[in-house]
Amino acid sequence: MNKAAVLLAAALVAIVLLAVAFALDAPELPEFRNVAAQAGLVDWFPNGGTDSKKYIIETTGSGAAFIDYNNDGRLDIFLLSGPGGSNRLYRNEGNGHFTDVTEETGLASDGWSQGVCAGDFDNDGFTDLLVTSWGGLALYRNIGGKRFENVTKRAHLDQNRVRYNTGCAFLDYDNDGRLDIFVANYVKFDFATTPKPGENPYCWYRDVAVNCGPRGLPFDRNILYHNNGDGTFTDVSDASGVSKPDQSYCLSVLTGDFNQDGRADIFVACDQTPSLLYVNRGDGTFSEEALLRGAAFDENGKAMSGMGATSADFDGDGKPDIFRTNFSDERETLYRNRGSAEFDDVTLTAGMAHNTRYVGWGCGFLDFDNDGWKDLLLVNGHAFPEVDRLKIDIHYKDRAILYRNNGSGAFTDISQNAGPGILERHASRGAAFGDYDNDGSIEVLINNQNEPPSLLKAAHKPAGNWVILKLEGVRSNRSAIGARVRLTAGGRTQIDEVRSGGSYLSQNDFRLHFGLGRATRIKRVEIDWPSGQRQVERGIDGNRIVTIRETSAPVP
Amino acid sequence: MTRGIRLPRHCCLCFFTACVAAFAQDPVARGIEEFHQGKYEAAKATLEQVLKQKPSDAHARTFLALARAATGGCDAATTDLVEIFAQRKDADLRRLAGLALAQCHLARNHYDLALPITLELEKQFPADADVLYEAAKLHMKAWNDVVFQMFQKTPASYRVNQVSAEIFEVQGRYAEAAAEYRKAIEKNPRAINLHFRLGRALLMQSHAPETLAQARKEFEAELKLNSSDAVAEYEIGQILLAENKPQDAAPRFERALATSPDFGEALLAVAKMRADAKRYDDAIQLLERAVRLQPQNEAAHYNLMLAYRNAGRAADALREKAEIDKLQRPPAGEFTEFLKKLGEKAPNP
Repeated sequence: MNKAAVLLAAALVAIVLLAVAFALDAPELPEFRNVAAQAGLVDWFPNGGTDSKKYIIETTGSGAAFIDYNNDGRLDIFLLSGPGGSNRLYRNEGNGHFTDVTEETGLASDGWSQGVCAGDFDNDGFTDLLVTSWGGLALYRNIGGKRFENVTKRAHLDQNRVRYNTGCAFLDYDNDGRLDIFVANYVKFDFATTPKPGENPYCWYRDVAVNCGPRGLPFDRNILYHNNGDGTFTDVSDASGVSKPDQSYCLSVLTGDFNQDGRADIFVACDQTPSLLYVNRGDGTFSEEALLRGAAFDENGKAMSGMGATSADFDGDGKPDIFRTNFSDERETLYRNRGSAEFDDVTLTAGMAHNTRYVGWGCGFLDFDNDGWKDLLLVNGHAFPEVDRLKIDIHYKDRAILYRNNGSGAFTDISQNAGPGILERHASRGAAFGDYDNDGSIEVLINNQNEPPSLLKAAHKPAGNWVILKLEGVRSNRSAIGARVRLTAGGRTQIDEVRSGGSYLSQNDFRLHFGLGRATRIKRVEIDWPSGQRQVERGIDGNRIVTIRETSAPVP
Repeated sequence: MTRGIRLPRHCCLCFFTACVAAFAQDPVARGIEEFHQGKYEAAKATLEQVLKQKPSDAHARTFLALARAATGGCDAATTDLVEIFAQRKDADLRRLAGLALAQCHLARNHYDLALPITLELEKQFPADADVLYEAAKLHMKAWNDVVFQMFQKTPASYRVNQVSAEIFEVQGRYAEAAAEYRKAIEKNPRAINLHFRLGRALLMQSHAPETLAQARKEFEAELKLNSSDAVAEYEIGQILLAENKPQDAAPRFERALATSPDFGEALLAVAKMRADAKRYDDAIQLLERAVRLQPQNEAAHYNLMLAYRNAGRAADALREKAEIDKLQRPPAGEFTEFLKKLGEKAPNP
């Protein structure tokens, strides 16, 4: 090779390297597209009226889930419906297409389904499902990844009166290796006694008669069921203190070890009333401390209309923070964890003050560009279809919002430039986050009222590297719910936790996704299992899905 | 034609009602019963008959005056109503007479005469729905009449546009309100408060980022006219915060507070800035002042609680939390019966 050729080759390498470096340094704009129709998700999911809604029950449904029900390593899709439709399970065929397997798996339903959460409550290695409804609960036991059996009654989860169950989560609050269940309740509602639109001052919105509530409707209480380990559960709401708060209209459930003491705490987003933070005392009881810990209200001490909730360490300080979606004419709320589960409302300083015309529901932190900083996506849609009659800038169907995490404690709203999937207008509710095609970038499944769902997928592969960790409990619950991970790569440490429930009445992928930026190898993964075991793994390669099974080996 | 006044139907006096059965044959009791049933003409006839025979019967005279007022006979009733309202020991009768008297004056647009009676009624019966309704009616009617005069006598005045804008604002029609404020400003560019109100209407009208800039321009214009307008300064600070410009917002809040040291919202905004800078003692000082000035201000109590917490003053934080718990309690009577009814009824299966 002559000298000129060598110089040319060197120059080309330099250009390529520069281009790669530029790609990693320049903020990357994703292009999210709605691929639901191509994926075969064409069924409509009815949920009350489309032009007007007479009752509040028409406004709150329903959730969405990414679960791997048949353990084939691919995320399947479960979507909930109001009356006139059915909850539906779609099997992931691995080629970008999903097949409706609702009937053959025994998940057909009718009624006002609200929320869904997943967890392997019997530790048999297959993910079970809990569906909450106005009316009751349905616990579906997964039989070998082939079908589901409704074991609600046998599990003692049948309720003795009609309840408006909303968000739910499996969690092992007493760290006994068995998953317990938390269920939020919204209001006491029945068609016979609830006033009609316009019948009292709580049935109006900007001079338009709308469905009544939640203000003016009676409160109900949240429920905690303890797993007895024999396929049954016991209602321990009173004994645990979970039923004590009786002045909040509760929707989404977000579990997490917010004070980092090794025990699962519970945050509940509540509508028009203080949100709740149940702090786990470690003796089988909880203490509700949201107000003093700064997670009940906004920065002005005002109760927001909390809908959805999600958690991540957005500022990289090693502590899990909380984000909550709210109503129109309210700001979203970002609570920064100061440590020990004491929070500051940092919505303004994080650059999230301006989106006040939306009613937000499902939400999730996702690292769409794999730069190692959790970005944030939320879906919107007003509670009242009647709002469209006002001809103002608040709409029944509205677009999603995507915030890029700048890595400096603040976000930039990039919704307008993040692809057509973000800008599509729907009356969205539940949203689930997961990597259904195992390509290292997160997709978003959205349940839209009275429409087919949306499935948002980035059109281009993100520049950063990634890893997905699939955790499997042994002494801990098999789903590893409550396991906390500290991952160090490329000089940064990130944290996350395996969760059931969250977003808005929805279930995300159990697997934990981490963007690695330029790093291709993970220096250290430290896992705190709910059993109390700490496990450390080293030298894991990036850009792959890694299964980590709980061991009892001492930390090296 | 003079319409009769409308006395509250539930004004039945227990004593008289209870006595009705016992005195069924008593013409006074019959007249009172007819009055309570809303048969005012019949009551009037019965009680006039009684007074012809027993002119000194106080009950008959009282209810005849009320019946006359209710049937448009305010002229004949006024003297007796004045006396009953001023002298009777029975509070129910005083209340009824006062209400009738106020309505009689109001029916003739005699606001000057109706006002002192209404004020006295409000003093004696501060939580009485009928009394408060009558007071609201008086003020609304007086306001309507004056505004009508303004529209008739000064139709081209900027004040007409201003008052129109204010009415639109109350109705939630912010675009129309903004248009009227703009007309008012065009007619009188030096008038104080118009730019401020326009800015506020703009903020209410739209959530778009460009609206923030427009509103800010109006608040700045207000400040040019009146540099001591602390509220306009504060609003600009809020807009800058919403635009994620906290550095620019800070001096605005500081100026608002310097201009008006007792301005609760400005105290709060500056205190938040101090807290953000981890200057908790400074924040506490400001917030303690804010709660002294506005003991019902939940935002001030909430931020004080958090400032105590962050400063490690746990006992003080708990004390503030108790205050907030107290303030957050729903007002007594707020749909209580309705909530109770729904709560007790088992929902349908």
